[in-house]
Amino acid sequence: MNRSPEVIRWLAVGTSVLAVIFGLSMLGLLLLESLPIFRHQGADYLTGTLWHFRGGQFGALPMIYGTLVVSAVALLCATPIALGAALFTAEVVPFRLRMWIKVPIELLAGVPSVVYGLLGVLLLRNLIYRLLKPFAPLSGDTLLTAGVLLAVMILPTVMTLADDALRAVPASQRRAARGLGLTLTETAHRVSLPQALPGLVAAVLLGLGRALGETIAVFLVVGRQDNRWPEFLLSLRPLTEAGQTLTSKMGGSETFIAYGDPVHWAAMVGLALVLIVLVVSLTLASGWLLPGRRHRA
Amino acid sequence: MRKVVDHIFRFGTGACATLSCALLLGIAGTIFLRALPALDGSLLAGSADARFAQGDLAFQILGTLLLVSTALIVSTPIAVGLALAKSVYLGPGAARAMRLGLFAANGVPSIVFGILGLVVFAKFLDWGKSWLAGGIVLGLMILPTMTVALVERIEALPTRYLQAATGLGLNRSQLVRSVILPQSRGGLVAGGLLGLARAAGETAPIMFTAAVFSGATVPDGIRDSPVLALPYHIFVLAQDTYDVDARTRMWAAAFVLLSLVFLFSLVSLPARLHSTEEARFG
Amino acid sequence: MRTRRLLLTAALFWTTLLVGPTLSPAPARVRINGSTTVNPVVVDAAKMLRSEEDIEILIDTVGGSSGGIAALGDGRIEIAMSSRPLSDDDRRRFPRTDFRAVRIGVDALALVVSRDVWEAGVHSLSPEQIRDLYEGRVRSWREVGGPDRRVVFFNKEPGRGTWEVFVNWLYQGADHAPFVNLPEVGSNEEGRNKVASTPGSITQLSAAWADGEQIFALGLRTHRGRVIYPTEDRLVDGSYPLARSLFVISDGLPRGETALVIGFLTSSRGQQLVTRHGFSPLPAFREDLSP
Repeated sequence: MNRSPEVIRWLAVGTSVLAVIFGLSMLGLLLLESLPIFRHQGADYLTGTLWHFRGGQFGALPMIYGTLVVSAVALLCATPIALGAALFTAEVVPFRLRMWIKVPIELLAGVPSVVYGLLGVLLLRNLIYRLLKPFAPLSGDTLLTAGVLLAVMILPTVMTLADDALRAVPASQRRAARGLGLTLTETAHRVSLPQALPGLVAAVLLGLGRALGETIAVFLVVGRQDNRWPEFLLSLRPLTEAGQTLTSKMGGSETFIAYGDPVHWAAMVGLALVLIVLVVSLTLASGWLLPGRRHRA
Repeated sequence: MRKVVDHIFRFGTGACATLSCALLLGIAGTIFLRALPALDGSLLAGSADARFAQGDLAFQILGTLLLVSTALIVSTPIAVGLALAKSVYLGPGAARAMRLGLFAANGVPSIVFGILGLVVFAKFLDWGKSWLAGGIVLGLMILPTMTVALVERIEALPTRYLQAATGLGLNRSQLVRSVILPQSRGGLVAGGLLGLARAAGETAPIMFTAAVFSGATVPDGIRDSPVLALPYHIFVLAQDTYDVDARTRMWAAAFVLLSLVFLFSLVSLPARLHSTEEARFG
Repeated sequence: MRTRRLLLTAALFWTTLLVGPTLSPAPARVRINGSTTVNPVVVDAAKMLRSEEDIEILIDTVGGSSGGIAALGDGRIEIAMSSRPLSDDDRRRFPRTDFRAVRIGVDALALVVSRDVWEAGVHSLSPEQIRDLYEGRVRSWREVGGPDRRVVFFNKEPGRGTWEVFVNWLYQGADHAPFVNLPEVGSNEEGRNKVASTPGSITQLSAAWADGEQIFALGLRTHRGRVIYPTEDRLVDGSYPLARSLFVISDGLPRGETALVIGFLTSSRGQQLVTRHGFSPLPAFREDLSP
């Protein structure tokens, strides 16, 4: 019997080990590059509300706030529609028709962020400006604009994953419920939803992760105004004003200007670190909630 | 009463689905209609000069294709290795850890890849702006996507194939070579196309490492050899939409990019759906 | 079998792609980065030079004037475009770089406003008024004779040449400039775009970019009440306060292709490009090129 030396095995396992080492070293690199800012300012970097690079002051809190607000708006707008659509394709629609809805949504998921940014700049911006007229907005570049744009971007992601989660519930259970006389709605409500709940939560978390990390589209419509810190944390006023998120800051020209200055550069890399921590913890949480399910970009 | 609720539910969810599809049609349609005036032969003429007044996109398309194909070449062997490790060779604990790791890597924002690329390639290796750097960064970015697509395909293989092979006395590596790899080619293709679609549309990873707005044609080396790229081109133009003519050209560029991405996505769909169905019935 | 053929084709494609350009003599390469004000001129010059001299010229505008200077200091580019003069801070940050700035033209920096502000009668502002607007003390255009609308001041990103020239004039130095929180714009293109599409807006912009249809350049009012508009004549006779020079900067004396590019920009053909984009050419060329 010809036993092929398990070369493939060593290649596969070796690649994995190298990948892990690589991933960890990239993380280490980020930590290393951002060290100077923590030495310079300590925890004030994360809690400070003033970012003034010329004055050597780096407070990331307004940007963390901006990121969270924009993502929250996106989730609030996108989740109901995504869940509704997923319920439609998983529960209501017969199999053959499903494709007619799923395919456009899959395509929507692939639209590049710069195209969304374009639509935001030329269309959404003016729309929101007109909508917010009673509140005397500065311009169409607001946290709300960015949030709505993000909502459209994460809609397909959340919808597809929610659909997957719902479809994981065995059809036999649905048939049994219908056989017992439950309407379609009641079946969905009492049979599918409860069982798919972890998967649905995971879908929403992944959508949130994507919203947190989106750069280009947000950069173009958020206004890029630094140090916007609200008087009352839960006030809605900031939605009508411009703001700054972690990603819009990193995607701007400060990344290039900071290049030569160790502290400024560390501050910029620190933003990336904060973002990674936020996003990765969310994705890990959703990964834990989805045992054995497929996950997608 | 129950019937009424049922109807409301069906209607409500149907409305959501219709809205979602309408969004897609709206986006694609808007771009197409606005790009229409600029869609003529001159679009594909080539010019290194990227002043917005010119609409020719040949070098941007070339640059994008170069970047995504490099990404694919970089990513594929690693994806195969990782997928095999996860679904064939590693024990359950390690496999679960790797799944979580892939999940986490997939969630890393693209701007972080861009900044890492800036640090590693422009700073440490002093490559300046390089198409290869951009390609490598993109490849690493799509790696989780491709690995996951491949893993799904492998794990969806009907067990009877594997049982038959083991019954014949093949060891794991022979199993991989003669059964798993040939059968999961579809997953590689699907994952590859999905990765291509995603890589083609990304701006953040390449704007620090590989793309310039004007002047580059075909790169002639590795260091200081940037390329033009569709997403970066559109990104720069989007900040200057004052000139009506420029605006039309920009819609045209967006149309070309969208078409490219849709092409990749559509072609990958049959392969992806095939694997789902086989998993359910195979 | 098919896989092998596929791999072979891929290998062939890549070899041709990589080897082909390597075998042909590499064109000389000049990397340029910096100010979006200077950019249009240099882009046109590059187009002409590329075809005539077979030099490869790569142009980008990441980070504006400061971004260009930083890139030059880091050794990443050959020529920096700047719409502000070099500062001591620049020289301090890059001690090993021998900055050589060459003037290629003169530009009028203006405060430009959206159409509704202009049409309501605001055609000029005094430095005090500009300070009030910039620092947020004046929030409605009504206070300076304009429409009853909120003032939207789009601030040029600190670091842009335009911003530095502006604060140098208004506050005698970037260090004396107060810290303000305003929405920011990066490139000239973006500034123009934002002002054109937002009623009640104002920003710092090169006067050459104000088209008189949707964006209007304001005049500056002196203590004596005289209003000076950013026109060619006022620029040439030196009475417009916010005149600024446009520079291309190299590391050390320009050599080779870098010298070619800089030389072109300061030649009569280059100066023609300068005028074509609305700037004032160097004094030596003013007579030949004035309309």
